[in-house]
Formats: sequence, structure tokens, C-alpha cells
Amino acid sequence: MERKYTILAVLMIVLALGLVVLPKKKEMKEADPKTLLSAITEKSRFLSVDLVTHRIIENDPTLLLIDLRPADQFKAFALPGSINIQPDSLLSVTTLELLNQPGKDKILYANSDLTAEKAWLLATRYSVDRLYILKGGLNEWYNTIIKPGEISTAASSTELDLISFRNAARQHFTGAGQTTNEPVAKKAPEKVKVVRKPPEAASGGGC
Amino acid sequence: MIGPIISSGIVSPAWDNIFAVLLGMGFGFALESSGFSSSRKIIGTFFGYDFVVVKVFFTAAIVASMGLLYLSYFGLVDYSLLYIQPTFLTSAIVGGIIMGIGFSMGGFCPGTSLCAAAVGRIDGLVFFGGMFIGVFLFSESFSLFENMFYSGSQGAKMINEAFGISPELFTFFLVLAAVGMFFGAAWVQKKVKKVEY
Repeated sequence: MERKYTILAVLMIVLALGLVVLPKKKEMKEADPKTLLSAITEKSRFLSVDLVTHRIIENDPTLLLIDLRPADQFKAFALPGSINIQPDSLLSVTTLELLNQPGKDKILYANSDLTAEKAWLLATRYSVDRLYILKGGLNEWYNTIIKPGEISTAASSTELDLISFRNAARQHFTGAGQTTNEPVAKKAPEKVKVVRKPPEAASGGGC
Repeated sequence: MIGPIISSGIVSPAWDNIFAVLLGMGFGFALESSGFSSSRKIIGTFFGYDFVVVKVFFTAAIVASMGLLYLSYFGLVDYSLLYIQPTFLTSAIVGGIIMGIGFSMGGFCPGTSLCAAAVGRIDGLVFFGGMFIGVFLFSESFSLFENMFYSGSQGAKMINEAFGISPELFTFFLVLAAVGMFFGAAWVQKKVKKVEY
């Protein structure tokens, strides 16, 4: 065989070997449609505000809060420990690497559920696991935790515990005034007893 | 810019046929410059005196394969968007046998017959005409072959998946096989009596 063809053959082998030796790039695999449908119909992706608040207060290291709102809203207020990701950069390489961090529960939230649901669907399609949505979003969180609610005297012990927790959480986040642990029941108006003075005895006269 | 450029929307699908014409002209040029307009040169593969067909097509296959894998690795081509012809095993085997018989009898395959017809070779023109008669007869009698045609469906299967290895490793083995075959073909060519054409 001619020398030039031998050189070309060796070059081809070296290039082919390069393909085998080059480090593999991690590819994001897309979820199977059946898996995705099963994940959508299951409601376990929603986490209640109470559960998330509990984990925030406990400084749970496995918690990663992701705020999907615009940057100016995030700067104005955000849940403690949350990071801001814009929805249009959700599928960027950096964001997907962040979402695929092992050992973390990623909780998406925005003002309501809508943006978080869309983001959840897109990320789940890219086989991101341990991804959840804060049920009701920041609006629900505010109305449940920050805004004091009315207390009914007929509340069960479970409800009373929940109310106590929310009061404590409110205090934790806002540093607001102390509140009593027990609910203040409405007092019935007291009946005022009128005590009539006995008529004074008539004086004997004289000064 | 990430290819494929039409599937990814970079170039309008209206350019499809224009690219097809340009690529076809390039393919025809490559065939003609390799001498594939001569049926005697092509048939040399079957008689052992000229293995240019095997060398050219095998080289094209391994260069294209490695090129795609490298482009995919560097993010210039989205491998998942490439069209993969579905595998129909039964019809592929039967069609391959018919194609092989026609190739060895006529000295041309469809592409090379067009190449020969384009340079005015009579055998190329006859083969090209016969090819169209064959296509016409097949399409008219397709209902007889339809079941066989669609049998053995395995979907869009990649050969490396059948072996359970990565495309990169398969390509490496293919290159080794190709280079080994080139050396083997050169050895056979030396042993076989030369034919003047």
C-alpha cells in the first residue's frame, strides 16, 4: 500500500481513538412521556406553606428555595435563603446543573402557582428530580403566615397547634409583638350591680 | 449555529431542495472523479482487480461518522435531531440481495448509473432506464409485497445499540475494520490478474 494511504489510515485510527478517549459530556436526558404524565397527575409535587415554613425556620440544609419572580420583586422581598432564577433561563446549562444538585429538595415559587407550575413541568421534562412547588405561592404564604388570621373558639387541638406554629413563624419572620399562646375568648359583658346607698339618717338638728 | 440547520430552524425548509441539488452535484462530482462512471471499474470489486468502490464508500462512511460525532461533541450538531431511517429487517435483507444481484450484473448502482448517464455512457443510460422500469413495476405491484416490505420493523435503531456499546466505540471498531479491509483489499489486488479497461 502506498505510503500516503498508510499515513491517512493511521490518522483515521488516531481520530477514532480520540472519540473514545475524550471525556464524556453529561447529557440531560428527557423524561419519558408516560413518566411525565404520571408526575403531572400526582399532587405530591405541592408542598404546603406550613411545611416549607417549618423547614425554613429549622434551617434545613436540604432545602433550596427558588424564586421565579422578576429581580426587582425578589430584591424587595424573598423567602429567606432563596435564590432568584428567571423563567427564561430555566433551561440554561448553569441552571440545570443547579437543579440537578444531589441531596437537595428544590422548591419553586412565584407570587402564585402558575409560573412555578410551568417551570416545574419544563424542569421535570429534563428529568430533574426532587422538584416541588410551594402551594399557593408567595401570596398564600403571606396570607397564611404573615397575616394574622381569625381564631375560632371551636378550633380543634390540631388547628390550635397550627395556629400556634403560624404565630411563632410570624414572629420569626417579622419580629412582631408577642402574642398569647391561648386564644382569647370573647367575654360576655359584665352585669353591673347597682348598689344603692341606704338613705342617710336625719340629723337631730343643730350644727 | 447548531445543526442540523433546517430541523433546528436556522435555515428555512424552502432551502431543502436547493441543498439536495448542491449535495447531489457534489456527490456526482466525487463519483466521477473516482472513476465510478466506468462499470468495469465498479465491477472490479466482485472480481478482485479493483476495490475502489469499497475504499471510497467505506472512507466516506467513517469520515462522516467521525465528523458527526466530533461536531456533536463540540456542540455544533444536535445528534438527537438527526433523522434515522427506520429498520425493516426483512425488506432490507431481500432488497440488499436484489441490489447485489443487479449491481454485479449491471456494473452500476443507482447513483453511479446516473453518473455514467451524465457523461453519455450507453451502459449507464440503459441501466438508468432499466432502474425506472423496475421502480415503476415495483410501485404498481406494491400491494403484493406490502406485508413483506413492512415486516421486521425495529424502529429507528442504531447499530451500536444492537451491540450494546457507545457510538464512539463502535466508530473506532468500524475504522479499524475499514483500515484492515483496505490493507486486505490491496493484498488481494496484488494477487489477482490485472484487467485493462
